[in-house]
Amino acid sequence: MTTTLVKEEKRTAPPPRAARRRAPHRVEARGALILLSPYILLFLVAAAIPIGYAFWISLQKAPTLVNPQSGFGGLDSFVTVISDYRFVDTFINIFTVMIVWLPLMIIGIVGLALLVHASPGRFGGAMRFIYYVPGALAGIANFVLWVYLLNPSQSPIAFLWQGAGLDNLKEVVTTENLPSILTAMLFFQGVGTWIVIVNGGLNGISDEIFEAAALDGANAWHMAWRVKLPLIRPWIGYAALMNLAYGFQLFLEPYLLRQISAGSVDAEWAPTQLGYAFAFTNRNFPAAAAMSIILLVITLAIGIVIVFRSGLFGEKEERR
Amino acid sequence: MSAVEMHRVVGSRRWSAGRIARVSVMLLVAAFFVIPIIGFIAMAFRNQENVAAGSDGFLGLGGMSWENAVYSWSQIVGFGPGGGGLFPRWILNSLIVSVVGGVLGLVAALPAGYALARLRFRLRKAWLFATLLAMVMPNTVLVIPLFLEVNAIGAIGQLWPVAIIMGFFPFGVYLSYVHFMTTMPPELVEAARIDGLGEVAIFLQVGLPISKQVTALVAFFSFVANWTNFFLPLALLTSSQQNKTVSIGIQELIGASPLFNATVAAGLDVKLYMPQLALATFISMLPLLVVFLTAQRFLIRGQTVGAVKG
Repeated sequence: MTTTLVKEEKRTAPPPRAARRRAPHRVEARGALILLSPYILLFLVAAAIPIGYAFWISLQKAPTLVNPQSGFGGLDSFVTVISDYRFVDTFINIFTVMIVWLPLMIIGIVGLALLVHASPGRFGGAMRFIYYVPGALAGIANFVLWVYLLNPSQSPIAFLWQGAGLDNLKEVVTTENLPSILTAMLFFQGVGTWIVIVNGGLNGISDEIFEAAALDGANAWHMAWRVKLPLIRPWIGYAALMNLAYGFQLFLEPYLLRQISAGSVDAEWAPTQLGYAFAFTNRNFPAAAAMSIILLVITLAIGIVIVFRSGLFGEKEERR
Repeated sequence: MSAVEMHRVVGSRRWSAGRIARVSVMLLVAAFFVIPIIGFIAMAFRNQENVAAGSDGFLGLGGMSWENAVYSWSQIVGFGPGGGGLFPRWILNSLIVSVVGGVLGLVAALPAGYALARLRFRLRKAWLFATLLAMVMPNTVLVIPLFLEVNAIGAIGQLWPVAIIMGFFPFGVYLSYVHFMTTMPPELVEAARIDGLGEVAIFLQVGLPISKQVTALVAFFSFVANWTNFFLPLALLTSSQQNKTVSIGIQELIGASPLFNATVAAGLDVKLYMPQLALATFISMLPLLVVFLTAQRFLIRGQTVGAVKG
């Protein structure tokens, strides 16, 4: 998530119009191929080949003790995965998180970005920076921070846990509490980056629009609700979809929460964890591959919607 | 900037009810973000006795001392078989894969971004689309397929596949694509062609010299992404304790803490309680801080580039 810090600001500036279109030229095409070759190579090694290989593996039979010979198994491993007793549960699990986390995230992002945008000068800038800081603590660092926060015996918010009658970490980190814990962790970690992005979108809006609205007598509230909000709708949609795709890929947090919960959190709580278990616990590579193909299709679908429908990328192409 | 002036006119300088509400909400949210981080950093400089006793005052700030950190560091460094030393090794591994991955990412991203922005060829749109798609997809989605691939060539537990995979950084391609679209007009390319330069030479002699800033941006974002990557090293490097990166190394420290696994911890010479875990995390974030401070002026300028309205 940290990688998105400046991309929206950049996106707000349309590139200058190409002077004229030229017919594709053979020399030009050869130059392009040479310049693209390192990237194409990495694309093949780190994306195309593993996807193709995983697809091929997923169509194999899983070797068993009785029959160690693997061979073409058709869609058997997809059946194995989908009929696994944990499969549906893992998706229900992440939906229980997303149903709370996504709306909260969107309200937080939009609300705070509008507040920052309504605060000119140093105060707004300082607040935007502070909101961004937890986003810099990505991954494992954010997790250890939350281990500290979740522990009733040392946390600065211990009164919350004690108020709920929870006296130690094992009572706090349970499968029932997981949706709330994950919501808090992901919000804390993710909201700042998106505030910066949406704020960049707001900064890209022409000042004349605000001036016109001010002349029409809009106060700060009208300005935010009736003028700014409709204008940043593409960014809101973009944020929602990106976070949705992220939700399907949750791994680090539930995986590590399981580790510190002394077993009171389900081991295969999220879909990615189930895929991980197929690969590393069961050593059933066809099933692991099938699980990752299923997740890939879901996130690809979301990704295609983002690229084509968010209005942030396609627009750029038209303006060329 | 005129938006700023305009807001002053509209909002006036008075402490109206709306203004007080806005400022207090923002400060409250800021406290929500800052207080845990301050408490966590304080934790890295406290000792376990006081943490367990719950002394040290507000956020434990009263219990901070350099001696505590020195002791904690001795415990962190002492972790590992035969006298320890795993933690510095993990940091070094992280540096290797992050730097090599970052350099590969740069070498691939700059020419690719230029070609996508300024050259006409078949499949240009397709590559652009594939890049955008790869960029918006969470990178964990490919970890199991990547594991299967690396496993097939028998390179599990080695650093080089991790570094190469980290070199695939589509966001960097997108950044340099936007960079060349906005800073290198097609007329400039055309003029260089008339001067007799080849396509690759135009990129090297005209494109590269104006790419300092995007180089810094791509290097920064790719280093941060590589450094904090967790799932990829977990799948590819867990089998080799020596070759872990620091992100999954910290996971091992957590697993060896008496707080979470008394059985494992009982067999260790070192004691890793919360102050030690916090210090290890704090130290693991220092390279990011250094990179951030180095890249900062480019990051700020990068933001202002986008502020120019089209």
